[in-house]
Amino acid sequence: MEQLTTIGINHYLTISAFLLGFGLFAVMTRKNAIVILMGVELILNAANINFLAFSKFNGGMGGVMFSLFVIVLAAAEAAIALAIVINIFKLFKSVDVSSIDSMKE
Amino acid sequence: MHSLIQLSIVVLLLPLLSFVILIFFNRKLPRRGDFVGVGILGTALAISLYMFWTVIVQTYDPAFKLAWDFTWIDFGNVPGVGPLEIRMGIFVDNLTVIMLAMVTLISFLVHLYSTGYMAGDKHYGRFFAYLGIFTFSMLGIVLSDNLFSIYMFWELVGLSSYLLIGFFFEKQSAADAQKKAFLVNRVGDIGMWLGILILYSQFHTFGYQQIFDNLAAGKFTMSNAWLTAAGILLFMGCVGKSAQLPLHIWLPDAMEGPTPVSALIHAATMVAAGVYFVARIFALLTPDALHVIAFCGALTAFMAATIAITQHDIKRVLAYSTVSQLGYMVLGLGVGAYSAALFHLLTHAFFKACLFLGSGAIIHAMHHEQDMRWMGGLRKHMPWTFATFTFATLALAGLPLTSGFMSKDAILASAIGFAKVEGGGIYYLIPVLGFFSAMLTAFYMGRQIWLVFFGESRTHLKPAEEHHGHDAHAAHGAHHGHNDHGHEEHHGVHEVAWNMRAPLVILASLSVFAVFSPDPLDGAKGWFMHMVQTPETVVGRYTTEHASANLSAPSALMAESVQAEPAHHTMTDAVPAANPAHGATEAGHGESAEGHTFSDHRQAELAHESHAAHYTAIIISSIMVVIGISMALIVYAFRIINPEKTSEAIRPLYLFSFNKWYWDEMYEATVIRFSIVLSKMLAWFDAKIVDGIVNGVAIMTRNFAFANGSFDKYVVDGLVNFTAFFVNTTGAVLRKLQTGKVQTYIVMALFAVLGYFVYYLTKLIY
Repeated sequence: MEQLTTIGINHYLTISAFLLGFGLFAVMTRKNAIVILMGVELILNAANINFLAFSKFNGGMGGVMFSLFVIVLAAAEAAIALAIVINIFKLFKSVDVSSIDSMKE
Repeated sequence: MHSLIQLSIVVLLLPLLSFVILIFFNRKLPRRGDFVGVGILGTALAISLYMFWTVIVQTYDPAFKLAWDFTWIDFGNVPGVGPLEIRMGIFVDNLTVIMLAMVTLISFLVHLYSTGYMAGDKHYGRFFAYLGIFTFSMLGIVLSDNLFSIYMFWELVGLSSYLLIGFFFEKQSAADAQKKAFLVNRVGDIGMWLGILILYSQFHTFGYQQIFDNLAAGKFTMSNAWLTAAGILLFMGCVGKSAQLPLHIWLPDAMEGPTPVSALIHAATMVAAGVYFVARIFALLTPDALHVIAFCGALTAFMAATIAITQHDIKRVLAYSTVSQLGYMVLGLGVGAYSAALFHLLTHAFFKACLFLGSGAIIHAMHHEQDMRWMGGLRKHMPWTFATFTFATLALAGLPLTSGFMSKDAILASAIGFAKVEGGGIYYLIPVLGFFSAMLTAFYMGRQIWLVFFGESRTHLKPAEEHHGHDAHAAHGAHHGHNDHGHEEHHGVHEVAWNMRAPLVILASLSVFAVFSPDPLDGAKGWFMHMVQTPETVVGRYTTEHASANLSAPSALMAESVQAEPAHHTMTDAVPAANPAHGATEAGHGESAEGHTFSDHRQAELAHESHAAHYTAIIISSIMVVIGISMALIVYAFRIINPEKTSEAIRPLYLFSFNKWYWDEMYEATVIRFSIVLSKMLAWFDAKIVDGIVNGVAIMTRNFAFANGSFDKYVVDGLVNFTAFFVNTTGAVLRKLQTGKVQTYIVMALFAVLGYFVYYLTKLIY
């Protein structure tokens, strides 16, 4: 029980794994590009939690700094990705990734 | 340049001019340009006679000599050969001047004669052109001052004779004869060229005078056998051109040529070129080489004389007679009788040309009948021809009061002297053969005169089937309708026109003794023997060493000369003393041309002995000639001995002579068959081995190329194609992976990461 009552690294990692799982699931199954981007955000945040958890239990500020960079990067990525999505929409009149397969063969 | 040299160059080039004009323009000129040939030769004759007058009559100096030369080609210092410079030049001495006059005179007369004899021939103009080039070449030989240019003119003479023998080239026999003459001459010329090269390799010069000087200075560094070899090889040129054994076979066949050509080339001049050439190189001939020459000449003289007695063709008898007389000249040179041999060359040229032109007149008058069996009784119809022909015959047979008598006896006297000097034995064969041939000569010429001119005409006896295919009929067909003897019937025989008669008369009158010497018994008193004197040998020093070297030589022949050696030395010591004594005892011969002394012992002895044998020779040869003529009269005139029955009685001998000693058959069986077998072998070798190698290489290359091609096609191309195929297949599979759907990629990336983890964990665990 003690393991459950005391919040340890396993909890963090478990949450992070769930988040990653959700993110991947969203990315792989959803057809809407926006939703896929949201999945990507989830994955990134799962990684952030991992960084912070290891930072906390390991001491030092490396993980914190890294997660801050990831947040900034995620913001930039979102901006670019959304711009791409807008352009795809302009071109295909759709954001359904399953119908956008002109790169096939 | 001396004016005589300039004149001799003009004489040399005039006939060439005639050739050039006639060969290109004879069809455009009136009378086919015969007057050009005759005129130009007349000019050349006039210049030659002027030179003769200046040199022989006015100067009258035995030592007269003029030379002029220039560098023709200078190759500089050729690696492996040394300095190579070819000079051309003119050499004029008494002999040259005499030969110039003789050649131009006979050539002119033959030109004149041909205007009658060849009239109506379809290649009339070309005939005169050929006569021109021939005369040019012959004069070139006469005027040459070096071996190189004489060799060039030598070949030109060969060419001219080829052209003229084959003048009636439509006739197979004439075409064969011209080829035969050319090829047989080549054999001799090869030897001559090798001889020239031996001398050139030693002295790096072709000039006679330079070679003699070098030899006299003792600069010949090879063994003396090489010097003898050089002499014999040079003599081979004479063997070919002057029709000596064993290369005489071309000359009788050369009678296929027109008769004026036979007179000019095959009697008077070209065949004399060989003798003239040996005379020019006489000084460098070693005694051994001279022995070979003497025996060659003696055997030739005898062989040809025996053949001549059974031939039926009038020209063929004369041809063999020519071979025989050339044998005399060569014999004369071999025994050291330089002046006598050349004297005979000159006298023979006149009377033999006369005989040939006379036979031409007979053939012309007889409508191209050449077989003496069907002639007879012509003296009534052709008095001029009869008289000149008979006189020339007497000269040829060597009867006193003729020129032939003097020259032939001078040779025979030297032959006797030679045999004495050489120590007798086998060497007596030479004078014996000479005298025997003299008898045969008298016999066959008597036979010819009788068959042709005496008795009754036998034209009607001729078997009908022989009428066709006889000599010159085909080519001379046009002649039969010829204006001045188309009348009468077939037997219409009459004297020939003036242009054919004049040469006969001139030539016959030049065969009288008085032209050459005031004493009909001794040619040595004449101008010729005075002007042309035996040159001093330049090989004396080599032969002396040679004799001492003989002591160790094993050869039987050499042993013989060793035995003679002590005698030589005692003799040679005695000669200078004996000579004046001789002159004192026989005062009548004191002024003899042969009286001048030689520094060479052998030559001095020869001169002395020849002189001593003079009257012996005259007596023996006169007896021989009388026997010969009497025999001819007994057999043919009085018919005491029936020739047909006699020939039946000694049939093998008769056939041996009639078939010309089977020389042609022998060559046919040996040289020709051997050549044919060899050629066939070579052809086989060429077709099978050489071609086989070439074809083999081709097949090998082809097969290799095929293998190479297969390798390229299947292995190299296979690899390339396989690569392409592999990439294509792989691509086709991998292409499916690129769906263009982002999510598929993500799944793949996920599985890849998962795969990595699985791998990593597995590694970690185990």
